[in-house]
Amino acid sequence: MTDNREQNKGINKMRRLISLLIIVAISPVALAKVDLVTLPSRDTVQLTIYNSADMTLVRESRALTLKEGKNSLQFSWENTLIDPTSLEMLPKANADKIDIAELVYPPRVTNLGLWNIESGVSGKVPVEITYLTSGLSWRAFYMGTLTKDEKTMRLQGYVRVTNNSGEDYENAQTRLIVGTVHILDEIAELARRQYPYGRPGEVVVTEMPAPSRGMADQLRPRALFEAKAVELALKPKEITKEGLSEYFLYTIEGTETIPTGWSKRLLSFDIDEVPVVNLYKYEEERYGQNVVRFLSFKNDKEHKLGQTPIPGGVLKVYRNADEQGHLSYTGQSSFKYIPVDEDVELNLGPVADVVVEPMLMDFKTENYRFDNRGNISGWDEIRTFTIEVRNTRDIGIKIEIQRNFDSPYWNLEKSGDFDQYEKVDIDTVKFTLNLQPRSTKTFQYTARAYRGTRQEDWRESSQ
Amino acid sequence: MNSKRIKLTAIMLLLVGSGIVQARIKLVALPERAATVIRLDNPQATLIEEERVLTLQKGLNKVDFSWKGVSIDADSIRLVAMDHPDKVTLLSVSYPPNEAALVWDISSADNFAERVRISYLLSFIDRLITYTAIADKAETQLDIKSFLVLRNFSGEDFDKARVLLDYGEAFEQGIDHEETKQMLFLKANKVPITKIWTFDATKLPWDPEQLENRNVGIPVSYRIVNDANSKLGQFALWGGKARIFQDDGHQSTIFLGEDNTSLVPVGEKMELYIGDSRDIVVTQRKMTDTQINIRRNNREQIVLFDTDEEIVAKIENFKDSPAVLTMLQYIPGQWDMEKCNMQYKRKDAYTLEFEIMLPARTEKGPAVKELKMHYHRRNVRP
Repeated sequence: MTDNREQNKGINKMRRLISLLIIVAISPVALAKVDLVTLPSRDTVQLTIYNSADMTLVRESRALTLKEGKNSLQFSWENTLIDPTSLEMLPKANADKIDIAELVYPPRVTNLGLWNIESGVSGKVPVEITYLTSGLSWRAFYMGTLTKDEKTMRLQGYVRVTNNSGEDYENAQTRLIVGTVHILDEIAELARRQYPYGRPGEVVVTEMPAPSRGMADQLRPRALFEAKAVELALKPKEITKEGLSEYFLYTIEGTETIPTGWSKRLLSFDIDEVPVVNLYKYEEERYGQNVVRFLSFKNDKEHKLGQTPIPGGVLKVYRNADEQGHLSYTGQSSFKYIPVDEDVELNLGPVADVVVEPMLMDFKTENYRFDNRGNISGWDEIRTFTIEVRNTRDIGIKIEIQRNFDSPYWNLEKSGDFDQYEKVDIDTVKFTLNLQPRSTKTFQYTARAYRGTRQEDWRESSQ
Repeated sequence: MNSKRIKLTAIMLLLVGSGIVQARIKLVALPERAATVIRLDNPQATLIEEERVLTLQKGLNKVDFSWKGVSIDADSIRLVAMDHPDKVTLLSVSYPPNEAALVWDISSADNFAERVRISYLLSFIDRLITYTAIADKAETQLDIKSFLVLRNFSGEDFDKARVLLDYGEAFEQGIDHEETKQMLFLKANKVPITKIWTFDATKLPWDPEQLENRNVGIPVSYRIVNDANSKLGQFALWGGKARIFQDDGHQSTIFLGEDNTSLVPVGEKMELYIGDSRDIVVTQRKMTDTQINIRRNNREQIVLFDTDEEIVAKIENFKDSPAVLTMLQYIPGQWDMEKCNMQYKRKDAYTLEFEIMLPARTEKGPAVKELKMHYHRRNVRP
């Protein structure tokens, strides 16, 4: 048993699941008469990992030893999650003398492709092989730490890269894509197909089992991974960010080794003192009777952000509780992708320390209209509301109160202690109030709703 | 492994003139197949043509053709004599029971080594087209490669065949049963593209704020014209899966997205939907929707009315580059526009198309445009 393990360790490096061998066939027909086999290892590998789909673009460079004339190159991907239809090889030197004539998926063999290459040169030729694989993923998540007065927040962004691809990628340049790509087929489904392009005249069914994770686990080079981790622990790596088409590309400094089954967390950014607004919202139709707390800031320079969009993820918010740096957990919120310059509103859930109480203070009807049979055909309904807003917290807050109506035929008179009023849409208005610590404000509005034939007399008042 | 499933055997007629049903006796060695053509110009079915030399004797000959394990449409099988078409006559075709086979009765005027062409429709062999394209960093042009993928699951091996598509030169290719081969067949560099963002008011949510934590993606497409200006236009581009990459400026590429294209005739446009933009945000709201000019019957019921409607759509560009947003708005039924602050094109009776130029985001914030439409729907019945 121990011997076996030792042996396994010894061949760890050899047991690449993706293998590449060159066969210089002396006969064009039968592969059995193979003359020479070489196994070039990867020189470099680059991973571009997507998070909107289970998909990674792998680009590896290898040096092939070609002979003048016909060469066959075998590429196999047993136990991986590679989409074979995405395989492409390009020579990086002597491109005009090397013709990659075809890629053949031979009969009755699975997980194997043969490139037939006509070479006008002999010797080492650098090539680049690209393909799509599934099983690698990444996600963003955030930690926010509010100051005691909740006026600013330290915002730390992380990315976590996970490799479940069945393949160990050593020293890979790792890049992450923020954005939503349109894809037609799941890469994992393409990877499991018995025939890469399916069979003609039938619906493609997946027959192959998923790659055995147990196998990969046995082979993972744990020692190697840990050694690397120590070496890199000197300084957190930087992540450079740039826009490409509708996406953002995050490139992690240097290279990463993430064996299959492992994941790795990296710091994406760390910004202190981001000014935040304690925003509270009240809207019965949406949140019920509770006031909901939001943390609001903007992804712009004023808030020490705005370099790049912020990918969606979960933010856990803490608050500095005392001078000793102890923390208290405020709540968490998942948020969407935030473009540069857009406002961020993080929903931290309902609270009890800010209270909104709308009270119907008066109700009456008037302006009745009757039809020619004497029945009621139109009338007005007049409701007067008093809304009391109480901030019991020891810090100042901002609150938005939305009120909805059940028809587009209404007019409003308002008075009292509010800061801003806005008609949001056809049947919604918004009052915005800023409240000092431990303070109360009250305002009133009277809404006149036009019912039945009275709607014909309705005219929008200047709001 | 290499054994042929399609067999051709010539049978000499032994009992001429006898009323007894003769046994089919296979006397002649298998004639070798030559000049095989795989014709893939019809996406519905693949036509195989092959030539064989039959040793015919003067008089009546029976030739047995069988295709065990191979899916041939029996009604599609044709036989043509090549050397002596006027002296070699196909009399009839017989189908034996429970067998994938047929027997040709051929009358020959003399002893001939006759070259014949056999053609048939073969199932489970076809071709696919795929595209891979790399956009430049500025997204103004594409380097397009198209691959032909031959798939043979017909049960028959083809050692060597001439493969014909609906255009271009035939090429020689062998393909075995259960084999798939992918080869490059078209390359066009620097094909100009137009990038398009589309907001369709009937398909996308109006108010992103109502969606809590979900972004509304504005679909992004590349438009390519299949014409000479685009270095294309030689032939119709077949439909297939297209995968689009982009040069990232670091000697590498990123994957932008993929789409299926249908057949694009010469002169027509291809639109490839690659992904969604979350840096253009549209917030559309209805600000007014009331009934006006109400007509009632003598029971005071409303029988006819017009509407007074107002829509405001705020468009914000958070990108650091300009964009042209195509916005589609729908107004059903009879309508007239009272006021609209932007130019539009009527695509049909109910569809308005706006082309909205969005400048890039500036230091001050996103570029914002606001569309205001004030219109009336006329003669609406409740």
